[in-house]
Amino acid sequence: MAVCIPLPSCRFRHRPVRSSLERQELFGRIAPVYDNLNDLLSLGQHRIWKRMTVSWTGAKMGDCALDLCCGSGDLAFLLSEKVGSNGKVTGLDFSKEQLSIASCRQGLAPNACYNNIEWVEGDALELPFSDGYFDAITMGYGLRNVVDKERAMQEMFRVLKPGSRVSVLDFNKSTQPFTNLIQEWMIDNVVVPVATGYGLAKEYEYLKSSIKEFLTGKELERLALQVGFSNARHYEISGGLMGNLVATR
Amino acid sequence: MVRASLMLLKDVGRGFCNSLSQMLVCPLSKKPLRYSEETNSLISDAIGVSFPIKDGIPCLVPMDGKIIEADDMPKTDDAADLSSKNNQ
Repeated sequence: MAVCIPLPSCRFRHRPVRSSLERQELFGRIAPVYDNLNDLLSLGQHRIWKRMTVSWTGAKMGDCALDLCCGSGDLAFLLSEKVGSNGKVTGLDFSKEQLSIASCRQGLAPNACYNNIEWVEGDALELPFSDGYFDAITMGYGLRNVVDKERAMQEMFRVLKPGSRVSVLDFNKSTQPFTNLIQEWMIDNVVVPVATGYGLAKEYEYLKSSIKEFLTGKELERLALQVGFSNARHYEISGGLMGNLVATR
Repeated sequence: MVRASLMLLKDVGRGFCNSLSQMLVCPLSKKPLRYSEETNSLISDAIGVSFPIKDGIPCLVPMDGKIIEADDMPKTDDAADLSSKNNQ
């Protein structure tokens, strides 16, 4: 019979593990075509948005940066260029498949400065980093997918150095009905049909419901202030289809 | 791609103790981790759990942990308890 060992200093949360597991499996399934689909579906614009996300962190040479829900590593590679060989980037994701792709991309890259990136398989809700460690944190298309957004923000706050910034890029849950209409139309008539061609219709249909369940820009700002950030601002980009939360500890 | 991955694994194995283990903590107790070269894992002495390192990547999702005293048991009791609580 299994012995239960008491863990006095840890907190077990009654999160819907099955939901988190389903999402983990989803990202595992889309991993092989994730990069190609990002390029196709955004017509390459995601690269611009991600550069903006990194700029907003204020990351500079020599910094220690963290990319949460790093996936195949887009933001981690951009952070790597910002912090240079004297800096350090940690990319964390809960998908083994995505990390494997990130690691391979790192190995194949001709640029030697990508050697400053380490990959960690981990949970954005239980970060394996000590308090106040990072000078900058990014999260791209991750916050919408975690089952406990407040907990994720709390963990980001905990591991960030005072005065440093977190920059969270994601779909924007707009308060403008017209923008919502455009967003839904694009998902139904562009994203899902293209994803269907890759055999991933159901995985990308998940996008619409996840945006509906997400927080608006104002709600994200409020959440960041609630967990302790001193300043929080949500910027709408790409005509309001995307948004980027910037919060300072 | 395989050769690049193998090279990366060797490099990570050599440098692992020096850099990554110093910054990582147990995801549950938030206490320091200890690198075990013989088992190639990260040990949380605070809670008696070891976390594997696979292909040079530390696996620190809480459910990846394994209670050290029960080497033959599948996965951690914490994971089993958490799963059973959520299935109720």
